[in-house]
Amino acid sequence: MPAPILSLQSIHTFIGRFHILEGVSLDAPEGSITALLGRNGAGKTTTLKSILGLTPPSQGKILFNGEEIQGRRPYEIAALGIGYVPEHRAIFRDLSVYENLKIAERKKGDLERKADFIFGLFPDLKRLIHLSGANLSGGQQQMLAVARALVPDNELLLIDEPSEGLAPVIIEQMMEAIKALSAKTTVLLVEQNFLVASTLAEHYVIIEEGRTVKRGLMADLIHDEAAIHRYLGAA
Amino acid sequence: MTRLRPHISLLLLLLILALLPFLVGLLDGQSPASMLAGEAGRSKFIQGLMIEIFILAIYAVSYDLILGVAGILSFGHAMFFAVGAYATGILLKSAGWSLGPTLIAVVGLGLAQAILFGVVLARVSGITFALVTLGLAYVFDILIKTRELGEYTGGDVGLQGIPRPDFLNPSDERLRFYYLMLVFAALVYLLYRRFVDSPTGRVCIAARENEERARMLGFNTILFKFVALTMASISAALAGMAYALFQPIVSPEVAGLGFTVEGLLMVLMGGIGALSGPMLGAALFKFMDFYFNKWFGESASFMVGAIYVLIVLFLPYGLVGTWRMRRRDMLAGWEELLERWRKMMG
Repeated sequence: MPAPILSLQSIHTFIGRFHILEGVSLDAPEGSITALLGRNGAGKTTTLKSILGLTPPSQGKILFNGEEIQGRRPYEIAALGIGYVPEHRAIFRDLSVYENLKIAERKKGDLERKADFIFGLFPDLKRLIHLSGANLSGGQQQMLAVARALVPDNELLLIDEPSEGLAPVIIEQMMEAIKALSAKTTVLLVEQNFLVASTLAEHYVIIEEGRTVKRGLMADLIHDEAAIHRYLGAA
Repeated sequence: MTRLRPHISLLLLLLILALLPFLVGLLDGQSPASMLAGEAGRSKFIQGLMIEIFILAIYAVSYDLILGVAGILSFGHAMFFAVGAYATGILLKSAGWSLGPTLIAVVGLGLAQAILFGVVLARVSGITFALVTLGLAYVFDILIKTRELGEYTGGDVGLQGIPRPDFLNPSDERLRFYYLMLVFAALVYLLYRRFVDSPTGRVCIAARENEERARMLGFNTILFKFVALTMASISAALAGMAYALFQPIVSPEVAGLGFTVEGLLMVLMGGIGALSGPMLGAALFKFMDFYFNKWFGESASFMVGAIYVLIVLFLPYGLVGTWRMRRRDMLAGWEELLERWRKMMG
């Protein structure tokens, strides 16, 4: 197994007075897709937000490339090379498709360098380049959200529920895109749809009530129907 | 020529505004020579009204930059304007400074108050920030009305008898003042437009829409907002300076919450975040204020309020904002139609 680019060591996170994460540990091996699984309310999104410093952990360590990043500000963490694709198609609706992509540049010319790769994955975006984000369909907005995270040279991408609320044909396109981009960057994927997660990911981590309860190779989990049923409610 | 094409409407408007004093004068039967000599007439009156509009337009667009573009709700915007007005009056009258050093001092004070608001912005946001700015503006409002500072500020009555340089005397050199304010307002608009279209401005818009999302892209959003705050503060202070040079009296009303609310009305009527909208809103507000007072006397405020309610009901994004929204929807519809047609044609 390749060395982890991201490692969470028993992190605890509070939101207000609520203890949401009570010891989440995970490793995201470099150059692979790791699926973060769990039922609704298990703490998957909070885990991603803790990594990004949006809900900073009060305890535990977060190592990125061997360096501790917990306690740093979100913009400092993002600048290290961690991209985030939030749930609910979080684009900037007041900006055009081009501006949504351009704003994600960390170095001048990032977008121009990556344009072929991005528009190869999402040809629709090229056609809609000057349209405002507010005028895009749900699927197009999700494509734009993923595309935006591809503009800078991110070493790690955190993707939250990319298939949520999308039509099957768009989900397939999105899966192709995530598979293609995983060749360039490590992905930590939060996905409620087990079929999508198991098709894409090589590794998995299951959290339940804010704790890591199981992790390993996806190939093993697929055959462990009892675990799937117990922790994910899927069969 | 191609580079000028997007600015055609602006150039046309500037040309009309440049010719306006002469057009009004000619319609009134005044000769160009008498207009240039600054003789009284309808042209001189319109110049005065337009100068007030230009000053208000700069004030309104500066409010729009922080509220509509950067998403900072401040209830202390009148203070930005009043600091410029009072500093100009005090430095010219009591300190005996000339215009050049006064101008530099006003810019410096604009920067200082942006830093003051910026320090607050780094600690609190949203409605808390708005309330703190209201508090700061209220303190300034009390200060200028105190008896102890009355010698300098004119207290409740206002600051009067500000010496103006001869070349900017609003009575004798009104046409020059008019053109100076026209150029100033146009420059502020162009500078703001450039800022909004720049990567920094785009980050401000992104942070206004969702600050968390902008921070996740790696932006220290407070710094970007501070840039907008500084630009707005300096330009509002300079508008205040122009006000002090033009008006016979700097009234303490310009430091009150009422003036901030008027600025907000101009922004909302024109279209929040539209830049040209609040400038148009300022013109509409001034015309309504003047003509309704003339025609309806004490009922004028009621009329302005009624028109404001109608605009909010029927043009919820303001005059320019609603127009842009409709145009954007039309373009999107057109794009969809073209796409369907392409598909039909195989």
